[in-house]
Amino acid sequence: MHSINDASLESEHRSGFGLKKKIILRRFLVEENIRSPAMAECDAEWELCKENIQPLRQGRSVSALHQALCQQQEGNHTALNQQKQAFESELRLYDGDDPLDVWFRYIKWTKQTYPQGGKESNLSLLLERAVTRFTADKKYHNDVRYIELWIDFAEGSPEPMDVYRYMQAQGIGTMQAALYIAWSEEYEKRGNIKMADSVFQDGIKCGAEPVEKLQVFHRALQARACRQMMTSMTDQQNDDDDDDEDEGSSEPQRSSLAELKAKGKKKPVVPINRANASIGYARGLQFKQPLGPKQNSRLMIFDENKVPESEPQEPKFEIWTAPPTARAKENEQKPEKWTNVKMPLKSRSGLSVAVPPPKPSFQPFVEEDDQPPAVTPCKINPAVNSVLSARKPCRPEQTPLKMLQERQQMMQLQTQEDGKIREQSMYCKELLFSGATEFCFEELRAERYRQKWARKLQTQSSAADDEKPVESSEK
Amino acid sequence: MSLFGTNTGFGSGGTGVFGTTTTDSHNPMKDVEVTSPPDDSISCLAFSPPTMPGNFLIGGSWANDVRCWEVQDNGQTVPKAQQMHTGPVLDVCWSDDGSKVFTASCDKTAKMWDLNSNQTIQIAQHEGPIRTIHWIKAPNYSCVMTGSWDKTLKFWDTRSPNPMMSLQMPERCYCADVVYPMAVVATAERGLIVYQLENQPSEFRRIESPLKHQHRCVAIFKDKQSKPTGFALGSIEGRVAIHYINPPNPAKDNFTFKCHRSNGTNTATPQDIYAVNAISFHPVHGTLATVGSDGRFSFWDKDARTKLKTSEQLDQPITACCFNNNGNIFAYASSYDWSKGHEYYNPQKKNYIFLRNAAEELKPRNKK
Repeated sequence: MHSINDASLESEHRSGFGLKKKIILRRFLVEENIRSPAMAECDAEWELCKENIQPLRQGRSVSALHQALCQQQEGNHTALNQQKQAFESELRLYDGDDPLDVWFRYIKWTKQTYPQGGKESNLSLLLERAVTRFTADKKYHNDVRYIELWIDFAEGSPEPMDVYRYMQAQGIGTMQAALYIAWSEEYEKRGNIKMADSVFQDGIKCGAEPVEKLQVFHRALQARACRQMMTSMTDQQNDDDDDDEDEGSSEPQRSSLAELKAKGKKKPVVPINRANASIGYARGLQFKQPLGPKQNSRLMIFDENKVPESEPQEPKFEIWTAPPTARAKENEQKPEKWTNVKMPLKSRSGLSVAVPPPKPSFQPFVEEDDQPPAVTPCKINPAVNSVLSARKPCRPEQTPLKMLQERQQMMQLQTQEDGKIREQSMYCKELLFSGATEFCFEELRAERYRQKWARKLQTQSSAADDEKPVESSEK
Repeated sequence: MSLFGTNTGFGSGGTGVFGTTTTDSHNPMKDVEVTSPPDDSISCLAFSPPTMPGNFLIGGSWANDVRCWEVQDNGQTVPKAQQMHTGPVLDVCWSDDGSKVFTASCDKTAKMWDLNSNQTIQIAQHEGPIRTIHWIKAPNYSCVMTGSWDKTLKFWDTRSPNPMMSLQMPERCYCADVVYPMAVVATAERGLIVYQLENQPSEFRRIESPLKHQHRCVAIFKDKQSKPTGFALGSIEGRVAIHYINPPNPAKDNFTFKCHRSNGTNTATPQDIYAVNAISFHPVHGTLATVGSDGRFSFWDKDARTKLKTSEQLDQPITACCFNNNGNIFAYASSYDWSKGHEYYNPQKKNYIFLRNAAEELKPRNKK
């Protein structure tokens, strides 16, 4: 029987579980002596923080997950930082013809290495940058990797619908099944089966690839819709019977696919549609309105999208000043839907990809004033002013955010109403601010120097190897 | 003392001032050219301390070397010695008695160069390139402070391979300055930390950056009693902040000013904004010099809040500057600072160090 090592207990501080549970679990593993201690530690780690691990669409590699968690536990930041730095350098020094590749690998590594997501990973920032960087690049518009990044970005943003609509308007991903699948999933989460269905039809009409996948998902959606209809019909009959009973729900059991009934007619209780557990991920269901319980045999699904339909069909893309991590939104007041906001999105090449904004209703920031402005950098309609005031500016410690925000500010402020650029920076902004963190001139230069020397050493050693007889071992 | 390597030669000896008939703008201010300048961009300059007779200038460069020149009273510069690192040299400094020079490099080491014997030994090791190096002379200890891109600030007794102390920073060190008992470090992501060095170095305060852009250079200034009282911080977008540590009225006393921008009054064309590469304070007058990516240097009076002078534009950025110990000489280096990345680098282009008489031009403006 082993005694519990105090030190190992103290090192557990990352997961949110109490010590007691850890002790129990650890004791179990130690006593049972099932696996080697190292494996047991890692397994315990997974068990203890699985709730914090964000699921990935394509699933997680178990070994990568274990390694990531172990690394975090051991505080092995040096290796992590070095790898991160290597990616950051690669981003800046890459001069091939597939820059998306570096971004994609970097983001993929980040997702695997930081299973909990969170600020340290810079994941949302990276996604946002990667996504906006290549909007003008037609060759990537139907690249599977690019679409995957967009979908990740959409899922992390407060309004995925807008993102998908923007993608469609821009022709990004319109030939890929993945877009339609993700989009329809989003509709389904909101209970809008009709739109979810029409999205699939859109996809099929466009000839999105791979067609079979699209059809499979479509059929699955239709199956779920039928099931839902049937259960709601049977519920309806029960519902009509005990509609006015206010004293308490007398549902004997909960069937797995039934709606939870709202008590009374007027209470806006949001029912939880259990059908959604089988689609997508349980990531904070965003229901705007409860499904109307008063139905006849026809399903009357609230179509929240009726409102935005009245908008013009031009592409609009809101820049979120705070990268939309699901985590961050928990503590902030949820912003309401902005229906009439247009903000310019300036891609790296300076091309505007949206309609120019209306004149600002407030005094634009003047350069002389060296007080950092407290307002968020968007030009808004006076009508929506009250919404903006509810939105807090970014927390000061989120410095990469602040940088992004400030740069956007500077970009906007530099282009005043007459569209003229007043100031321009005479240094390679793109290179410095490419990835998730900044570089200084010296770092850029040092990186290039380092690579040059590494190549030199490599050619020298391979030249030396050529001269050696064959039986010598590899270096 | 050994002389420079044969690949550079001695240049024209003498004063090295080119004839005024040349039309190229490499020296529009007609300042004294230092002979045998380094073969690649000059990253740092440092003059010898007052404890040593004469003026000796040290310059580190991206050609991995550190060079020493003697600057004679008649303006002649004589190359004296050279040492190498295995990576580009990013910073240099002198010991307080002028017998040693400390050099910091991208090869993650720092060396101590004994000028009398012309020997170097390694005195520091980091896990990333060392960006800054400063000598600290306290009443009860002496040490070398190194700031690195590995996010640590380490303090070294030159006799021991292990650091006396290692302080963790929130981000990579981008620039630093030391005037006992104060040290300031500016890091990536606009971090700014002040350390106090009495008894032993410790973090004094983290300051919210007065600037909105990447920190590039910092220099501490002193009050009338020669005590360090604040610092000037330069950013990558043509602005310098003057910040006092404990001002009576922070809102009024602290301020920022624009510098190294083009088209001052001409609003028809966009204003070009350049990086501030270095800041130096005049040891006697307390006025300051800034050098920028635009290839100009400027002198300022921070108390009168006025500009004293701006130079003509050189054809290359100015990457480093420093004053000698009595403030008579201003040295500045003209070379590529990598502000536009790799494409604008021309390895064939010559690099220069210029010396200018600074006794008159940096006198403060009389306050009304």
